[in-house]
Amino acid sequence: MKKTYGALVVGAGVGGIRAALDLAETGQSVALIDKKPNIGGILTQLDYQFPNDHCGMCKMLPLTERDGSSQFCMRKGLFHRNIDIMLSTEVTALEGEPGKFMVTLRKRSAFVDPNKCIGCGKCSEVCPVKVKSDFNAGLTKRSAIYLPVPHNIPNHYVVDLDNCLRCWQCYNACPTGAIDFKFEERQGFHILVADSDPKTFEDMKDWLQDQNFPLRHVFDGDAAVDALADQSRQVRILFLDMGLPGSDPEKVLRRGLELNPDLHVVLMAQPDQEQAARELAGQGAKDVLLKPFEPKRFVPWLDKLYMRMMSDETLDLDVGAVILAGGFECYDPGEVGDVLGYGREPAVVTSVEFERMCSGTGPSNAKLIRPGDNKPIKKIAWLQCVGSRDLKKKADYCSSVCCMISIKEALLAKKLTKGEAETTIFYMDMRTFGKEYERYRQNAEANDGVKFVNARIHSVVPADQTSGSKDIKVLYLDEAGRLQEEVFDLLVLAVGARPPVGTKELAEALGIETNEWGYCKTRYFTPSRTSAYGIFAAGSYNGPKDIAETLIQSGAAALEASRIITIYAPLTERTPEPQPEYRNVSRETPKILIALCTSCPILEQTVDMDSLVARLGGLASVAQVAKIGSACTKPGWEEIEALADKHSPNRILIGACQPYAYIPKLRELGQTIGLNPALMDVVDIFTPTAARQGEDKGAVEREVFSALSMASVRLLGADPTPLPPATQVTRKALVVGGGLAGMTAAMGIADHGYAVSLVEEQETLGGQAMNIRYTLNDEDPVKFMEDLIDSVQKHPNITVYKDARVVLSSGRAGRFTSVIATDQGAVSFDHGATVLATGGREANVYDYGFRVHKCVMTQRELEDQLASGALDTSALSGVAMIQCWRSRDEGRSYCSRVCCGQALKNLLMLKKRNPELPVYVFYRDIMTYGFAETYYTQARKAGAVFIRYDLKDKPKVEFEDKVPVITARDPILQREIQVRPSLLVLSGGIEPNEVSDLQEMFGVEVNADGFFQEAEYKWRPVDFLKQRLFMCGLARAPGNMSETIASAKAAAQRAVRILSEMRLTSGSVIAEVRHSLCSLCGKCISVCPYGARSLDLEQDMILVDELLCQGCGACAAVCPNSASLLRGFRDQQVLSVIDAALNGLNYGRARAAEPETATQTEGGES
Amino acid sequence: MSQTEVKDTKTKKADLEARALADIQDMVAACMQCGTCTASCPNSFAMDYTPRQMWRMIIFGMLDEVLKSKTFWLCSACYTCTLRCPRGLPLTRAMAALKRLAALRGGEQRKKAAFYKEFINNVHKYGRVQETGLMFSYFTTMMDPFLPLSYAPLGLKMLGKGKLHPPSGAHKGKLDAIFDKVKQMEGTT
Repeated sequence: MKKTYGALVVGAGVGGIRAALDLAETGQSVALIDKKPNIGGILTQLDYQFPNDHCGMCKMLPLTERDGSSQFCMRKGLFHRNIDIMLSTEVTALEGEPGKFMVTLRKRSAFVDPNKCIGCGKCSEVCPVKVKSDFNAGLTKRSAIYLPVPHNIPNHYVVDLDNCLRCWQCYNACPTGAIDFKFEERQGFHILVADSDPKTFEDMKDWLQDQNFPLRHVFDGDAAVDALADQSRQVRILFLDMGLPGSDPEKVLRRGLELNPDLHVVLMAQPDQEQAARELAGQGAKDVLLKPFEPKRFVPWLDKLYMRMMSDETLDLDVGAVILAGGFECYDPGEVGDVLGYGREPAVVTSVEFERMCSGTGPSNAKLIRPGDNKPIKKIAWLQCVGSRDLKKKADYCSSVCCMISIKEALLAKKLTKGEAETTIFYMDMRTFGKEYERYRQNAEANDGVKFVNARIHSVVPADQTSGSKDIKVLYLDEAGRLQEEVFDLLVLAVGARPPVGTKELAEALGIETNEWGYCKTRYFTPSRTSAYGIFAAGSYNGPKDIAETLIQSGAAALEASRIITIYAPLTERTPEPQPEYRNVSRETPKILIALCTSCPILEQTVDMDSLVARLGGLASVAQVAKIGSACTKPGWEEIEALADKHSPNRILIGACQPYAYIPKLRELGQTIGLNPALMDVVDIFTPTAARQGEDKGAVEREVFSALSMASVRLLGADPTPLPPATQVTRKALVVGGGLAGMTAAMGIADHGYAVSLVEEQETLGGQAMNIRYTLNDEDPVKFMEDLIDSVQKHPNITVYKDARVVLSSGRAGRFTSVIATDQGAVSFDHGATVLATGGREANVYDYGFRVHKCVMTQRELEDQLASGALDTSALSGVAMIQCWRSRDEGRSYCSRVCCGQALKNLLMLKKRNPELPVYVFYRDIMTYGFAETYYTQARKAGAVFIRYDLKDKPKVEFEDKVPVITARDPILQREIQVRPSLLVLSGGIEPNEVSDLQEMFGVEVNADGFFQEAEYKWRPVDFLKQRLFMCGLARAPGNMSETIASAKAAAQRAVRILSEMRLTSGSVIAEVRHSLCSLCGKCISVCPYGARSLDLEQDMILVDELLCQGCGACAAVCPNSASLLRGFRDQQVLSVIDAALNGLNYGRARAAEPETATQTEGGES
Repeated sequence: MSQTEVKDTKTKKADLEARALADIQDMVAACMQCGTCTASCPNSFAMDYTPRQMWRMIIFGMLDEVLKSKTFWLCSACYTCTLRCPRGLPLTRAMAALKRLAALRGGEQRKKAAFYKEFINNVHKYGRVQETGLMFSYFTTMMDPFLPLSYAPLGLKMLGKGKLHPPSGAHKGKLDAIFDKVKQMEGTT
């Protein structure tokens, strides 16, 4: 059946997941597909991420309505009721228009039935094939039947048909018959051989004897056409000889395809007929085989062809919008030859391989030992820009992420070796342009002893060939020009990014443009739109990005997609889900129903079920223990429903496998029988049986019993009082700041039909972006801003308050009231979400003769003068620019990231007007990340001279007759140079605007540099820790117009997510206050990271906003009186679970003696 | 190249130099000072400036200092730097262009260029290098009585091994066509 989705997301890495979640949370249904057999993209391979060097992927899971999606480790799997995940699936065609696209997908079969596979791994053991494991970046081998990611849930084996030998050993080894090679179905799969030579057919018949195919033979073209017309035995594969008598092959081919468009035609040709056959192949034949055939290759080939034809599926979907999140691939240095020793020296690895070496699921179990000789690694070098910034490899762009990855890896190496490892990073420019990057680098250098060397390694040779040691010697030229040699245990090549394989084909299928490096092309002011309307670029599909920016880009793409869906294919009726009515069981005695799923044969083989059932029946408050068929099937589930009806329990415990899959089912069950799903639980009783097969029966039984008894005690102690009622959401938004970010966010929200109030301090809209007169890529920012201001002012849903300030904001999550002071008086405004886009400004430091001499100006002033024509470039004798004038300095530990681009923009404009004009740029690291790198190359080609300086040796500026004289040291020539330009241009960087009043009003934090502090640098880049508040633009972090637009759209999407709900319910685990014990000390208020607690002075009590509370438990831990407690995690509940676990240990021993131990858990509760 | 044009360019030598320098600057402008050229250069040990410093000086327009250096004269055109340069710059071509530029200047540079000039004359004349003839014409051009003495030990060693032969005219004139063609091409470019 054809399915309809709001959006199709192509690529299930973090970028795709973010976009899918963003849409799913607003109620859209999403199809999330990936060509790989697993989700997670490249991050499945990377265990540690900046800045805390942990994973943290789960932090992107929904926080509001958090009971609605399974809150499981994201590296294992993603479960959301609105997201359908399809793996090994690719888009093959797209038709239609925005709002009603028809997409055709091809799903490659895994040939393993996920319902039968128990993950025992016997198939993999017997498989004779060993190929490089993609997961471990080729450092280990895997079989042709394998687990794509070892820690996934659910984790099923898949067959890699391309590498499969068709030996069928796995098929025979599988204990559950999960491997499906469609043996029986072969009898209905007709193959026709049309060849005048009977030998061809005889051979084939001989070879294919074991394959069970019905093979037929015809000698001429006419007979072939007749056979093809026989509908009762429809031919699926036609072997067509090029020299067939009668009707010529072309006619047979055409007729065959007319009769059955899916007919797979294989042309058989003598070597001299190849050309003709290839031509015919263009008319619909799928393959050309040259005679004579080799049975060794022919048989597996045909078998695989059959498997693909029978098992692969073609799916058709109707979708409203398409989001592309294909990510990027890592550059393979293997293709360059052996200059850097990769592939020749085992001590030379790529950064991805190094990540795997550090990983617990990697080849060496997180021990840093060298591949090849297992020597412990103590001295490691990193080489930056391998495959990036390389004109020769057609990669005139910066991959943006490798610098930070290398610093992180260096710190990781230190951690794994307990600080022993010596780490050196060889770089050209350290591009630490992102938020908190520069501080991370400075700490790595100053506190952790990571060495940074500005040099490029040019050769790698064995350190000592005679001893057979695998150490390597790297040769490089230091800045002073001396040749240096250094011996290392390991050299890590920081490989750059490449567009994902298949981008070109996908672009053709979808009709979108790619840029000159093969990435998806997007425009500067519409960073998430591809060239085709209704198709959007998320994540790093339009250029390599780090995680935070990937997620921002995905948020922006989700907003655009959601806008398209709203306009062209609105959800027919977004009725809020019926508020389920649960019966109040708080006054009933606990009655637990335990249902054990027995569908898996190994459970009954390893566990004595009768004894287990008897034991469970003896547990406190257990009313009924039942064995059921299979819980995951419909009849099995009906059994549970019937049992619940019959016994009307008020707690339900199910023992089955894959507990994460039951979350939506429990919710349904709750609605049917009127029991709160918080009083139900599913326990995994399968893993102990599978993992410990063959072990002592008692031990396995003990483990199963222990898991079940712990869960039953936990349920016993669960709080049965009904949840607080859902809060109505005020479906309006407040946007503070009327600059580019604020206006973009306001437009994004307003386009979804929600009312927005936009508050701007100044008398005009536009903010800093109004100072931008032209861009590097020839876009027109002036017109763009005029249009944007115009549309904001005309938008029916936006109320603009200029010359106004927010003076007061109060209320509860979802229902805020703010007071806006305008010149007309104060206005009060109710809103459910808030976006803070307060912006920043160009930093001005009065230094280097700035504001003393007319010839000294900022880049912005130069831009102004160039745009207005006030500056006569032909009258200039030279221009000098000083970068990082006050950035990345003591007290300003961040890179303003826009200045280098701005300098290049002005420089290229100067050179365009006057190509002879000498331009000197004094810089520390040129931060032309991403595709901006190409403008750096252009600037150098245009003849601008770039002179690097160090913080400890800054350029000195003096003035002679009002002409600046700049003295600096050229590190290459190692001598002083002096330039006397007619203009000195300074890059001052960006500072955030002062926000202390807003901070107090909204209860939000800023970081050490004064920018807003996000909930999490990487995973929640536009969220405040306090719910319902979002940030974007310069107030979040420095960025150019394109990046500001992306962050504003991402923030708008987050706000739309809140506003799309009519009402919000809290999670089941939230904090409560026992007011009788509370001494109002206020410790819980300051410790709450979410700002969920407040002191109500009128009532003299601490209040908890149950929507803001995330159930972390910090308040319960800090409260001296135990007045603060966590619903669903009370002390006695946790203690009795521990008791149950301990009793479970005694189970084996106590079993024979007497069955009373378990019931004693009640004692633990008192 | 016609006679009059040659005369004309001679009067505008400074101009020509400036243009040649600009050409070389263009060749190396995109250099990002990674030093791969220097590190790969087999002759760098004998150079007074490293190739990287040389490019830097060219970018800064320090022509006089560049021409005082012997670095570019020591380039043996092995093309390793060109092959390895991550920016894909034509470095060997730039070295050759520097040699031509130096030869243009005359004076001290004329002497430095003498060996190259005599070498190619010798090849032209004999159709291949004839060592004895080459050294003889080189010494005559240099007009330095001590120069032959400094080569005497090498000469004797080669003589002892039977490596020195009187010039042979067997291949005389055979390369004329190539040289004419080159002249013609240079005239047009």
